[in-house]
Amino acid sequence: MRSVRAVLTGVVAAVAVACAPVPSGAPDIGGGSAVVPRPDDASELTAPPSSAAAAVPSCDATASLRPQGAPPAAGQMPAGSTMERIVRSGRLRVGVDQNTYLMGFRNPFSGQLEGFDVDMAREVARALFGDPEKIQFKVLTSEQRIPALENGEVDVVVRTMTINCERWQKVNFSTVYYQAGQRVLVPSSSEATGIESLGGKKVCATKGSSSLANVANAPSRPIAVEVPNWTDCLVMLQQGQVDAISTDDTILAGFAAQDPYTKVVGPKFTAEPYGMAMPKASEDFVRFVNALLERLRADGTWASIHRRWLGEPPPPPVAKYRD
Amino acid sequence: MLVEAQRNPVRRVTGLARSTPGRLTLLALLLVALTLLVGALTATSVQRRSDALTALADRSEPLAFAAQEVYRAMADADATAASAFLSGGVESAALRQRYEADVAKAAAALSTATSEITRSPELGEALSTLSQQLPVYTGLVETARAHNRQGNPVGAAYLREASTLMRDRLLPAAHSLYRAENANVVRDLGGATALPWLELLLGAVLLGALVAAQRFLTRKTNRLLNVGLVAATAAAVLSLLWVLGASVVAVSGASSSRDDAEVVDVLAQARIQTLAARRDETLTLVARGSGGEYEKGFVAASDELRGLLDRAGSGAAVTHFEAWQQAHQRVREADDRGDYTAAVGLALGSRPDGSAVAFEALDGDLRESLGAARARLTDTIAGARGALTGAVPAVVLLALVAAVAVAAGLWQRLKEYR
Repeated sequence: MRSVRAVLTGVVAAVAVACAPVPSGAPDIGGGSAVVPRPDDASELTAPPSSAAAAVPSCDATASLRPQGAPPAAGQMPAGSTMERIVRSGRLRVGVDQNTYLMGFRNPFSGQLEGFDVDMAREVARALFGDPEKIQFKVLTSEQRIPALENGEVDVVVRTMTINCERWQKVNFSTVYYQAGQRVLVPSSSEATGIESLGGKKVCATKGSSSLANVANAPSRPIAVEVPNWTDCLVMLQQGQVDAISTDDTILAGFAAQDPYTKVVGPKFTAEPYGMAMPKASEDFVRFVNALLERLRADGTWASIHRRWLGEPPPPPVAKYRD
Repeated sequence: MLVEAQRNPVRRVTGLARSTPGRLTLLALLLVALTLLVGALTATSVQRRSDALTALADRSEPLAFAAQEVYRAMADADATAASAFLSGGVESAALRQRYEADVAKAAAALSTATSEITRSPELGEALSTLSQQLPVYTGLVETARAHNRQGNPVGAAYLREASTLMRDRLLPAAHSLYRAENANVVRDLGGATALPWLELLLGAVLLGALVAAQRFLTRKTNRLLNVGLVAATAAAVLSLLWVLGASVVAVSGASSSRDDAEVVDVLAQARIQTLAARRDETLTLVARGSGGEYEKGFVAASDELRGLLDRAGSGAAVTHFEAWQQAHQRVREADDRGDYTAAVGLALGSRPDGSAVAFEALDGDLRESLGAARARLTDTIAGARGALTGAVPAVVLLALVAAVAVAAGLWQRLKEYR
């Protein structure tokens, strides 16, 4: 009887072992977490950009060199001047942007560069050659502007460039040709009211821009995200990878025009005077450009360019000189 | 007697072995066993070679081709998207069709490559990257397109993001997939090109045994030839010749396939480098003055391409390559002296001295050479497989014939001792 029970137990055990579930050996499908695309070279800033703000002596940044009378007529530049050298080379080399809607951008239909900055640059070419087409554009990112001037790759940079004392150390600026100020762009569903309510949120700006430094140094301590081009910021905002973009109101207006689901919020929390930047050596060219800007302000050209791209013009910025 | 045999079977066997009929029986048993063993081993060896060729023809080569198509179609889509963007406005119907064909081809080739994933689990990561990111890529390109149609410059940023995704994730994955599948081709070719030493050795052993048996019989029975053994020897010789002949044809076919496979590999790489160079040439113009990195990419791809074309030894392709290099020089000169419109015209237009025409000609050459080289490759593989057709059944059948003949021949002699 005992042996029968032992045998039965053995049989039951054997059946139990034989019937134990055998799991599938097939691998998981994977792909549970989507890998989202990012713009090339986008990264989060861990420390504020190395702006040696303390080491820069304070200066009257917006004061430029006084022009010496009216600019000479096109094609009649004084011998030995920077302007004469440019005229002899046959074209004006200008550093511009092709990613900032309304300021300097590539028109997708024609492939041509257009915008407020581009038209201002064409006025410089017109003053030198009598022909606004004698111009060679070199597209620069914010970061590349000063090196391009220092290496002599361009004669002038007209690219939403803020005049400040730190940059005066390396390049010369014209008088102010546009007065911008930094604000914040957020999705229209956002409850943010300005840079102060973006603490711990990701805020996008381009590398080497003064906007990036302003974001990184903001008291509310947002997380600065840097990208090469301004439109990369809009891509990241639309893809939900950043919470806001903070830069000059002109650039933000261009974004808002491209995406109706965004809004510009908060006051201007910085003043961003734009100037045309030229190499440190060519002071005669700075005086020439300032003379030209005087004329553009006076004869309504500035106002008509403003109307074309940015709407009803305010009075043009007043020129200040340091002689 | 029976009792004694049961009690001492060893002595009985040795006693039997000492008698002539015993020896004859033993000889017959050994020879039959040897014949069957050699037949089985030879058949296995031939089968292995045939399996390698089947794997090559039915799996590795088509999969390597699929991987190559994935790689090429993606590189082409990237180059085409860049051209469409540079051309401005809404892209031309031809460019759009080319892009759509590339995406369709990439997806179809990818599904072929994925269907065999269980065979090469190490490819899982590359394949899953490709499957996951291809729809993301096309999504970005369509977003860019939608923005372009509305005149929003952010379209360019979406296209840059798409191109970055392609360069940083999709193309490297496609490259590693292609390399792995190509390595499988080389491995299967190696299995098919091994010389038939084992078959030769086995055949020689069997023939030697049969000849020795014949001489033993001649000595024992004073008869010159035993019909059974002669028939068995003939069957063994026939089997050996068949196997050697078929194997040598298959090996030489597989060896020339190896050369063809190398040509296919070189041409495929050349085609992909051509597309990479074209993309970089276009993106240099898109970047408009700040495209130094892309120009470096063009020069690097061109150098690689020049080496590959030299190895492929394709005369027409080299001519078109040189024409393209000169056209590229003209594009750069125009762009560098500030004549952007002329540079774009040279890069995209249908001028005979422009780089678009030279690129199309080179790509067309490579496409044709690649098609011809692949056709040669599949033909030689098919030829090698054809040589082995019927070899395995023939070996088995001849081994059985030889075994029966040995048994019958020795039975004849054994009967004389009854």
